Amino acid sequence: MTWWRALVDAGAVPGRGSTRDEVEAGARADLVEGNELQTHPIPEPRIPNPVSFLNGIERWSVVAYDGVVQVVNAYVAAAVRRRDATGGLHTTFERSRGFAIAPLDRMTPMVRQALEQSVADVESVPSELVEQPARYLEMIEATVRRARARMERELAEEALDDLAADEWLVIDGLLSRSPDVARHPRALGVIKSHGAQFLEGRGLERALTLPAGYRTSVFAVRGGHTRTEVYSWYLRLWPWEGNDLLYGLLRIEARAHPDTVARASALSAWLWTERAPLATPATRWDRLLYPLHHVEEYLKARAPRDLQQRASRMSRLPRLAS
Amino acid sequence: MTAIGKVVATELKPATPHQFHFWTATDTSVGIGAIVKVAEGGTGGTGDGGRVVYGVVTEGFAYSDLATPLHDVVGAEGDPTRADEAPTARQQIRYWTAAVLRQTPEEPLQPVPLGQVYVADDADVAQALRMDTFLFSATPTAIPVGLYTSAGRDSPVYLDADFLLGPEAAHLNISGVSGLATKTSAVEFLLASIFAHFPAHKGRVAAVCFNVKGPDLCFLDQPGDLSDEDRRRYERLEVPSEPFQRVRLYAPLKADGVNLNTLRTHPDLVGDVEPLTWGLQEVVDYAEVLLNRDDIDAKADAFIDFLRDRVLGRTFDDGFGTTHRVQTFADLDRFFRAVFDGLEITAGGRSDTWRTHHIATMRKVRNRLLNISTRCKGLVTDDGPSSDLPWNGFEDRTVYVIDIANVDPLGQDLVFARVVSRLREQLERRELGVDAVIVFVDELNKYAPGDGPETYVKKMLLDISERGRYLGLVLFGAEQFRSQVHRRVVGNAGTQVFGRMDMDELATPGYQVLTPATKSKLATLPIGELMIRHPHFTQPIFVRFPKPPVLRGRDGVERFPPAADVPFEDAVVRQLVRLDRRVRPNQVKDLIADREQDDVRRALAAVRRTRPDDVLAYFRKVLGARVEPEALLREHHAVPPLNPISDEPY
Repeated sequence: MTWWRALVDAGAVPGRGSTRDEVEAGARADLVEGNELQTHPIPEPRIPNPVSFLNGIERWSVVAYDGVVQVVNAYVAAAVRRRDATGGLHTTFERSRGFAIAPLDRMTPMVRQALEQSVADVESVPSELVEQPARYLEMIEATVRRARARMERELAEEALDDLAADEWLVIDGLLSRSPDVARHPRALGVIKSHGAQFLEGRGLERALTLPAGYRTSVFAVRGGHTRTEVYSWYLRLWPWEGNDLLYGLLRIEARAHPDTVARASALSAWLWTERAPLATPATRWDRLLYPLHHVEEYLKARAPRDLQQRASRMSRLPRLAS
Repeated sequence: MTAIGKVVATELKPATPHQFHFWTATDTSVGIGAIVKVAEGGTGGTGDGGRVVYGVVTEGFAYSDLATPLHDVVGAEGDPTRADEAPTARQQIRYWTAAVLRQTPEEPLQPVPLGQVYVADDADVAQALRMDTFLFSATPTAIPVGLYTSAGRDSPVYLDADFLLGPEAAHLNISGVSGLATKTSAVEFLLASIFAHFPAHKGRVAAVCFNVKGPDLCFLDQPGDLSDEDRRRYERLEVPSEPFQRVRLYAPLKADGVNLNTLRTHPDLVGDVEPLTWGLQEVVDYAEVLLNRDDIDAKADAFIDFLRDRVLGRTFDDGFGTTHRVQTFADLDRFFRAVFDGLEITAGGRSDTWRTHHIATMRKVRNRLLNISTRCKGLVTDDGPSSDLPWNGFEDRTVYVIDIANVDPLGQDLVFARVVSRLREQLERRELGVDAVIVFVDELNKYAPGDGPETYVKKMLLDISERGRYLGLVLFGAEQFRSQVHRRVVGNAGTQVFGRMDMDELATPGYQVLTPATKSKLATLPIGELMIRHPHFTQPIFVRFPKPPVLRGRDGVERFPPAADVPFEDAVVRQLVRLDRRVRPNQVKDLIADREQDDVRRALAAVRRTRPDDVLAYFRKVLGARVEPEALLREHHAVPPLNPISDEPY
């Protein structure tokens, strides 16, 4: 018997592994449902129809060096796919951008000219970090991520304009990036990463030990990434016991409106049914809704071949003929 | 033209010059057997400037992005009733494997391009199956065999007469389970198609069909019930939806020598049935058929040759004081008795050989020859002349049906062997009246089994299979289990047709070339659908054919119930009236009253053989003259059994 078995026998909950989300800036939350953050069981689900799902991808790779200047080939794409009555998903909106990223003012004239002549879309970045490759690449990554976020935001706004009267839009990530999206009555943000802490004390403990099939009370979210106030709550899709605290835990964002509080349980019940089918083989399948996974797979399939795999994960061995 | 799929190739499943893979939408008209076109370049499937590949779908797969079934269990929390509650359908794929039928250009032969996939239209089907070479040539030789109906199409499929009826290749073999494979119907339709489309420049064609089961082929001249869909298919295939215009039906007589041994005895139809009776001469030429494997030895052969060369039809002295002229079975029996008596009495039993032939050999041959006249009484006449097929006057586009369904198996072998041999002889001499004859034999596994003794019939079928195409003698064989038919017989069939097959049969080595999906389709093939292999088709093709335009056997006996055997006098009247409608029944009955039945039979046979203008007058003449076989006057002897002897080895 292992030593931690004694802890379980003494009342501890068994665990396995851990999820480490990137730590983000702290944010403040104000409870808008009740006086204390509580756990609420979710009712029988009612699935709205139709529903559209929005997701995006980003790819980038260093493709050339002008001295120590790393020239990057980047690609971002986003799509909205609408689910029909048969459960099939069909693309309604799609946008992509392939572009180069380079500190143009640090490049040699000849290479810069070649770059500008051969690539229509070049995003110039500051040249201060060129001599620090690791930090330079972090900046590149942030640049690409911003480009993706911008595209997703624009596509979400476009999709909301076209949304049918009873249609919902589910977005992978924060809802609060766009005021129009954040205020829409039928838009939901599904957040899988929990690097930003909104709760503390007893409320945080209740959220992190939320049983499967339960949601927390609704709270208002400001600060952090948030530009527009939204209402939010946690929802547990799968039991965390035997796994880790963040296993199967989603944070949902919806417009800051009393209706959201009234609908939180019904919306949670709907999202809970989206657990199936499992979004495998994605590693975060416990928190990834299958339709959002599906949109991502769709975008991956349409991404340029040379950016299918992140360069850092590719084998550095010489390429063989076979 | 709208693309319905896209060729995909991976390292594990690459496209090759003979096979490719493609995906389609989940909701697609493509299925196993569908013909598709892959176009490289161009728009709308034209393939302008690029390669065009035609293929037939041989395998299909469907799968989703589910990594393991366990994930489905987890998603439904182990509750099968919740398995379908997921609001989003998993991404699915319909993935197909196709075998290449044709590439254009044909050289250089390259892997199939990763182009878009289209459903083949009529012109594509013609191209894919290389039918363009014989369909659109200056001397077309196309014979419609059915409609290609996969993928929502309705395209005629043609066989090349040069490869179906010779001389390039020939013969057709059709397999399938009884009742559901519609083998007989398929052959009937194909015969109708051949008669309608056999090209004039190839001459005249006829068919000889052996009816070996019930009334299967007895009503080919009677119209059957066709649905509107069947008529539409006939129209599409440009084949008349009418029964055969010229059918000649032959059936042996029953043991009474006057009633026909067939199920087509309804008064309205029996007049069209010709009696088939043979005498000694016809039987002796095919005596080998009557001998089983144990009988076949050089001694028996030598004695039969002796009889054939020295005795039959000649004046022969037996050496014991008697002169014989053997022309009938009765004559033959007298001859044998005389020889055996001669050896017993004249030679005092001291000798057991006669003219170098051992008595045991003679007894064996005697038993075999005379036994047939007993077992096949009605087909083989003891002493009457023969009534036979018109060996010098076969007519164009005519079906000759020989009904031997109720004949002893030995007699069936004899009929089969003699008819086919005569066809071959006449075709060799170009004296048959037609340039090609299709011989349809059902139950081929009985006549040419893959194992078992080398019978005369099997050797003859092998000979036709291997050499018949040069003569225009074409074998259309049908059987339930192809694997049980001699390999060389089925192997030489240029065109292979398969109806619904038994799974056990499909598991035999002969079907290894077929994919599991094709086998599965064959095992569940609906009535009226066939799989066809033909020299021009590089892959098997599924076609539908319309119901034959003739009355099916079992429907025929319901619509035209067989009549009960009629009394001797009435049967004689019926046969004479059939030859001459002016004949009055009472006159005939008066004529034959108080006459020996054998005399009447002989007179009747003489009338049938002679076919005089005034039938009654001729009948009266030959009857009044006490008709004898040819010249010799003798009294009738039935063929009694020989006295058994203790050392008789046979």
